[in-house]
Amino acid sequence: MSDSINEEVVSEEEITVEETVEPSENQTSALVEGVMHEQNIKNVSNKQAVMKILVQVGLYAFLGIMAFIILFPFYWMLISSVKTLDEYNLATPTLLPRTFDWHNYAEAFNAANLGTLFVNTVYVGLVSTFLSLIITVLSAFAFARLEFKGKNTLFALLLATMMIPGELFTITNYQTVSEFGWLNTYTVLIVPFLVSVFYIYLLKQNFMQIPNELYLAAKVDGTTDLKYLWKVMIPLALPTLISITILKMMGAWNTYMWPKLVTKNKDLYLITIGLRDSFKAPDGGQTDFPVQMAAVTMVSTPLFMVFIFLRKYIMKGVSRSGIKG
Amino acid sequence: MKKISKLLLSITTTALIAGNVMAMSSCSFLPGAGGGNNDDYTNTKVVTGSVNSVAYDGSEVTISFYHTMGEALRTILDNHIVRFNELYPNIKVVHNSYGDYPGVRDQITTEMSGNGTAPSLAYCYPDHVALYNKSKAVLTLDDFINNTEVGFTQEQINDFVPAYYNEGKVYGDDKMYTLPVLKSTEVLYYNKTYFEKNNYQVPTTWDDMETLLGTIATAEAAKGNKCIPLGYDSEANWFITMTEQLGTPYTAIEGDSHFLFNTAENRAFVERFRGWYQNDWVTTEELNGGTYTSNLFKETDPKKLHTYMSIGSSAGAGYQCPTKNNDGTYPFEVGIAMIPQSNPEDPKVISQGPSVCLFKKSNEQEMAAAWLFAKFLTTDIQLQGAMSLNNGYCSAVQSIMNNETYAKQIAKADGNARLQATVIKKTMEMRDYYYVSPAFHGSSAARDEVGLLIQTCFSKDPTGGQTVAQFIESEFAKSVSALSKRYDK
Amino acid sequence: MAKALDFLNTVFVKGFWKTFCVKWVWQTFFCAWVYQAFWKTLIVRKLKFDKWKGWIYLLPAMILLMIFTVWPIFNTLRISMLEGYNSMDVIGGEKFKFGFGNFSTVLKADIFLTCLKNTMLLCILTVPISTFLALLIAVCLNAIRPLRRFLQTIFFLPYVTNSIAIGMVFAAMFNIVGKPSNASLVETWGIMNNILGIFGVEPINWINAGSSYSANIAVLVIYTVWNALPFKILILLGGLQSVNKQYYEAAKIDSTPRWRVFTRITVPMLSPMLAYVIITGFIGGFKEYSNIVGIFGDSMGPVADAGRLNTMVGYIYEIIPDGYYGEASAAALILFAIIFVVTMINLYVSKKKTHY
Repeated sequence: MSDSINEEVVSEEEITVEETVEPSENQTSALVEGVMHEQNIKNVSNKQAVMKILVQVGLYAFLGIMAFIILFPFYWMLISSVKTLDEYNLATPTLLPRTFDWHNYAEAFNAANLGTLFVNTVYVGLVSTFLSLIITVLSAFAFARLEFKGKNTLFALLLATMMIPGELFTITNYQTVSEFGWLNTYTVLIVPFLVSVFYIYLLKQNFMQIPNELYLAAKVDGTTDLKYLWKVMIPLALPTLISITILKMMGAWNTYMWPKLVTKNKDLYLITIGLRDSFKAPDGGQTDFPVQMAAVTMVSTPLFMVFIFLRKYIMKGVSRSGIKG
Repeated sequence: MKKISKLLLSITTTALIAGNVMAMSSCSFLPGAGGGNNDDYTNTKVVTGSVNSVAYDGSEVTISFYHTMGEALRTILDNHIVRFNELYPNIKVVHNSYGDYPGVRDQITTEMSGNGTAPSLAYCYPDHVALYNKSKAVLTLDDFINNTEVGFTQEQINDFVPAYYNEGKVYGDDKMYTLPVLKSTEVLYYNKTYFEKNNYQVPTTWDDMETLLGTIATAEAAKGNKCIPLGYDSEANWFITMTEQLGTPYTAIEGDSHFLFNTAENRAFVERFRGWYQNDWVTTEELNGGTYTSNLFKETDPKKLHTYMSIGSSAGAGYQCPTKNNDGTYPFEVGIAMIPQSNPEDPKVISQGPSVCLFKKSNEQEMAAAWLFAKFLTTDIQLQGAMSLNNGYCSAVQSIMNNETYAKQIAKADGNARLQATVIKKTMEMRDYYYVSPAFHGSSAARDEVGLLIQTCFSKDPTGGQTVAQFIESEFAKSVSALSKRYDK
Repeated sequence: MAKALDFLNTVFVKGFWKTFCVKWVWQTFFCAWVYQAFWKTLIVRKLKFDKWKGWIYLLPAMILLMIFTVWPIFNTLRISMLEGYNSMDVIGGEKFKFGFGNFSTVLKADIFLTCLKNTMLLCILTVPISTFLALLIAVCLNAIRPLRRFLQTIFFLPYVTNSIAIGMVFAAMFNIVGKPSNASLVETWGIMNNILGIFGVEPINWINAGSSYSANIAVLVIYTVWNALPFKILILLGGLQSVNKQYYEAAKIDSTPRWRVFTRITVPMLSPMLAYVIITGFIGGFKEYSNIVGIFGDSMGPVADAGRLNTMVGYIYEIIPDGYYGEASAAALILFAIIFVVTMINLYVSKKKTHY
């Protein structure tokens, strides 16, 4: 008994050691940089070094705890998605599923024609993202760099529209798109949501941080606005643009009310609508939560992937702009 | 940087091309959409004046049907639409599921409010019809029913379970607005094994129930078991069924106020059942934390919270069946009985489940075709049988028992293995006891409100020196006033 | 007066569509032409068109906004002024008179004050907490190197989810199975209470029947903050990474203490981002709805206290299915007015405090 306790203590120590190794490496590299930049700093007292290590440990501990809190609901979702309905309904929840019921995934996948749903969602997501980016960049540029009459009033009005709950637009917009003959087309899923004041605001703020001197200099050089926008502003604002891309893709992925209203053709269904059926037991019985969780997991995974993939570009964009600035 | 701009460039180009294609053919851009697929049918506009109910003349017409069917039922429906098209090859049926009943209602109200369109026919609950009918766009079916060519014979009308059929006439003007599709009721599921072991009688009245609850609770508490003897899934059903059984007022279509349920008798039964809840004799779905009480009923470990009786929908029999042991036997057998009554001489049980309603359209042939489909949906024995056996709902027509396959399935009904068939058999025996509540704009709000009223009156304690009776009275008054403010003119 | 309003109503509403479409088509072609002309002229006379240029850049956005945002707002305004407007009655041919009846109905409704109180309370609690936590996490993330990317990814994950689905997961975590008022009948206190129990905390009735208002709000705050963190972290971290490193190096040389670096360099440099997340946080907070549905369901409150946690948007959603668009529009406009005032105050304060 006592042996095992000792072992635990030892292993804990090991963990502590491991934890401190990484930051100290980091610290050394930072130090090396410091030495390269500033020859003056040669002696760092032990006390300071220990402090810095402690701070790093604190940082990791804090971030670790927060990460755990953030992740726990996902853990719950994942284990629920492989539980049987009976186990899910158990009065005492099990922390680990007794059996892994992958059947839920198959059920969620087969219940809807998931292939078509994915293709549709990706298509709508991509097209609306890129059309939206063009519109947003042009608008944000106008608000951030150009002077014209009524600019501030207009911007304030636009911001004001952000405050109206979206449901209020639905009825009138439904009327509009049916007058345009857009029902049951991709257009109706894309066009009404191309302009987002939210993104314009976001990008405008970012553009405004780019020093105005650059723009004036470019003007003196005779660079056209569009060229300046393409060559300078967009690369500098790339992280924001990518954020917008992610947000917009997610919008396509999670939107529910509007597509349900305007598309009746199963070839045009977006993913949330298609999956809704698999959430329900036949005809209003109890919702099959594990299947629902499996569906949610499947719907979320591609977004996680997109995010992880694009993260590289965010980092690159940031570092590039750092060197240039 | 180059890589990124290349990526962006190619993506932008793609988007632009896609955008152009969209702009040029905004209506017809479908990936690989072959000919013949006409699912993107857009509903036609409703009209509100008087319309003619003419017989179908065989012309080409598309009708659209909104429902709540899940995948399995949709497949069944598709198969039988093929049969329908053998009879009427020129009627094209486009149907869509909107998940649940509020989903269908919201879709229809938004479409009607948006551009004045509606499907040809739709699944509905009585209060939905009352809501749609504010627009005067719901088609009355009497002309069709009485039409000698396409209508019902007297025999066919008599074949419907009378209570189900009369549900189409609850709108205050004695006109027929809906046809019943599939119906369910509430039944008492009890642990037969446990009842037989302890020699308990299945309660038929609420008084019997009270005695039994006391007996079981005392016995189980003595053993140190966690037991609440009875679970009642739907609070609202309990309230409404009690008013029917006692013959006390609930709601009315006509009069100064629709909402009449604040009476001494109604408050008295709520106070009585509150006592049961406070004694830990009964729980309900919501008070049980939003999980169906059937989960407690299925629980076999006496040290865990469990019940021995469960009152729930006859269409949910599958959820009342305990999980099999490893050797394939059941831990206990489920018994099914009628819910307890106030007056056993005149039993009352609720009738629920979808009906179908039609909308007024300027195209007479669309209405005529919709009528034929509604008729097919409600009276075709093969379709009704397949849908009923799939989910445990009862068919609306009685002659279904003459169908050999169906009758065979029901006859085999015995014990847990065929609980759904058993419950259908049982509900068939109760067909004369069904009641339906009047439907008007606000009737579903009343339903929700009395459900909440039960939750509040059961679980909350009086404050500020009120007695329980005073507390219940004030809660009733609050509910009626909230409903009245919105729905009474 | 009423006659004049009726006249305006017919002309504006009935005539509006055709005028609007014609205008729209016309505008498109005209502006395309102007756009062409603009570039040609620009080569000749460079700055002459500067006055117009901004509008031309805004053109695509403006056209879409006119159709899908501005026109619906006008329509909403119109409907809100039609007393007792119900979309089903409209089809039935009923006429409504002009007036402020919808507004007074909304303001007099019993649940309106409840909704207002809940909405305010949630805003005041969640915005500062989530902003502060996000700032802390962003600064910490910025200060580490190994695992940074990994952690960053983790912190973004909540954003990539459906708030109703995850709300149900949260509800399951806080849910007590059994009868909380009688401890001997409790099956499980739920995973959250189990965890708190490790620290010796008595089980709390979070969301079940008989739970207290403050416990409900606590759960909502936890969930809302969890949900709001990723976006704020993303924005703030983006801001931090674009802060010129020279400031920090200068501070290093001066060996300025960390907290001083934080308050004197980091926060001021981040102030535009902070202003942004606070303002959007408030706007989002006032439009709070789906998080509550996720945890408490459509009843917007625990059992026996349905509607206790209802919000302004919840109120609107409740009456829309019944076709009461008049009242819904009025409620939306009232909500809009409140958000507008709060945002203006926010903007005013941040203008004074923001460092660009």
